[in-house]
Amino acid sequence: MKSNQKKPALDPVILIALGIGFVTVAVVLFALQNQGPQTLAIGAGSGFSGRIMVAFVTGLTTGGLSCLAVQGGLLASSLAHQIEQDYLEQSTPHKRHGKKIQPSARTSSALPILLFLLAKLVAYTLLGVLLGWLGSFLTLSPLTRAILMLAIGIFMVGNALRMFNVHPIFRYFSVEPPKFITRYIRRTSKGTDTFTPLFLGALTVFIPCGVTQAIMAAALATGSPITGAAMMFAFILGTSPVFFIVAYLTTELGSRLEKFFMRFVAVTVLILGLVTLDGGLNLMGSPLSFQNLSRSLIPAPSITSAQASSAQVAASEGGLALHVNNNGYFPQTLRVTANQAIKLSLITNKTYSCARDFVIPALNFYQLLPDTGAVQVDIPAQPAGTRMFFTCSMGMYTGMIVFE
Amino acid sequence: MIKKTFNVPDMHCSNCSMTLESIEDELAGIKEINASYHKQQMLVEFDETKISEEQIIAAARRKGYTAVAVL
Repeated sequence: MKSNQKKPALDPVILIALGIGFVTVAVVLFALQNQGPQTLAIGAGSGFSGRIMVAFVTGLTTGGLSCLAVQGGLLASSLAHQIEQDYLEQSTPHKRHGKKIQPSARTSSALPILLFLLAKLVAYTLLGVLLGWLGSFLTLSPLTRAILMLAIGIFMVGNALRMFNVHPIFRYFSVEPPKFITRYIRRTSKGTDTFTPLFLGALTVFIPCGVTQAIMAAALATGSPITGAAMMFAFILGTSPVFFIVAYLTTELGSRLEKFFMRFVAVTVLILGLVTLDGGLNLMGSPLSFQNLSRSLIPAPSITSAQASSAQVAASEGGLALHVNNNGYFPQTLRVTANQAIKLSLITNKTYSCARDFVIPALNFYQLLPDTGAVQVDIPAQPAGTRMFFTCSMGMYTGMIVFE
Repeated sequence: MIKKTFNVPDMHCSNCSMTLESIEDELAGIKEINASYHKQQMLVEFDETKISEEQIIAAARRKGYTAVAVL
């Protein structure tokens, strides 16, 4: 009786275990990255392997869900057709006996998802080559990057609000492809089962999610086709386990759980969108970013004795020392005398994180610092009350100079 | 051939419009369907001698959507 029932391609329990394993590794990597310079050199932000690792971990932790929110429709359409076919194939013989059976998506839902993800991986790697090549002709200034981040942040927040059905206006954050494309996709999806997910997976390149777009911008900034391709490959590879598990379980467990996942995705996208917006504001040097606003309320962390002594040395030489560590800038708030030009020494010591990409938006100053060493910046005299913000190139780590 | 607009209030993503448009391949008498997630509507061009509004509404229901003809 059950001879026509195929064995599931992959056991969901193994998939869940793998997913939990991947996420755990990612969390551990992030935790270690923030421990200190010597703990985890592979968490580097600027070397080739560092960039690849960061792209992979970003994909693993946030990219998967974000991509699923935007590109889930394409995957669902290829799966829907697959499930519909399974249902028809399995229910037809039983109808003769007046018996109705439920469709068994488990027979073949893993394969189309894998094909979809494989096509996506190839398409985005090729896109990485193109972006890296284009990037070799242009350089993104911090302001351009800030504007890009703000646009991406607004897009992500809008999409999250759309998913929560807050107001009909947010539906316009969902990109509707032209009719001739949807018609072509739809008619193609009636073709072979292998071709459809491959084709639809490749099409995701036209609807990148917010996190993907951020990585695309980073790939563009590399200015190298090989690094760009490797970054996109690592990121999409990182998104694949989460994408696969969520898509697989959603297919398996039906619409009730799908609604739960969609809400989860909506919350995640909303948080990521707000973080991206905040990063964009930081990169613009805006006092309205969450970090810059909260800095006045939360006291700055105390500096170590070594840092204090080097700050004293710098101060005795008529300047200021700012330690650029893997987990941010210390001290985060520098207080200086108004109406006097100062020399700011940026001190790095085995610093590999993005904190090395130092930006002072108000001065339009941007420099990639050496991983170990000191770079001096001339800060012109500022009137009392001026607050000059500085940040890393991603708007993650911040600080400010207060003139008083 | 006539063109008729239907409100479809339960579309929740762009993929829904693609699903609704697939009805044009399934029902004889329909020339074209243009569904919009943004407007929550679908515009159907069909031959009223071959297919009725009710049949189109029933086809949308089979896809999981509630279509209501705009008067």
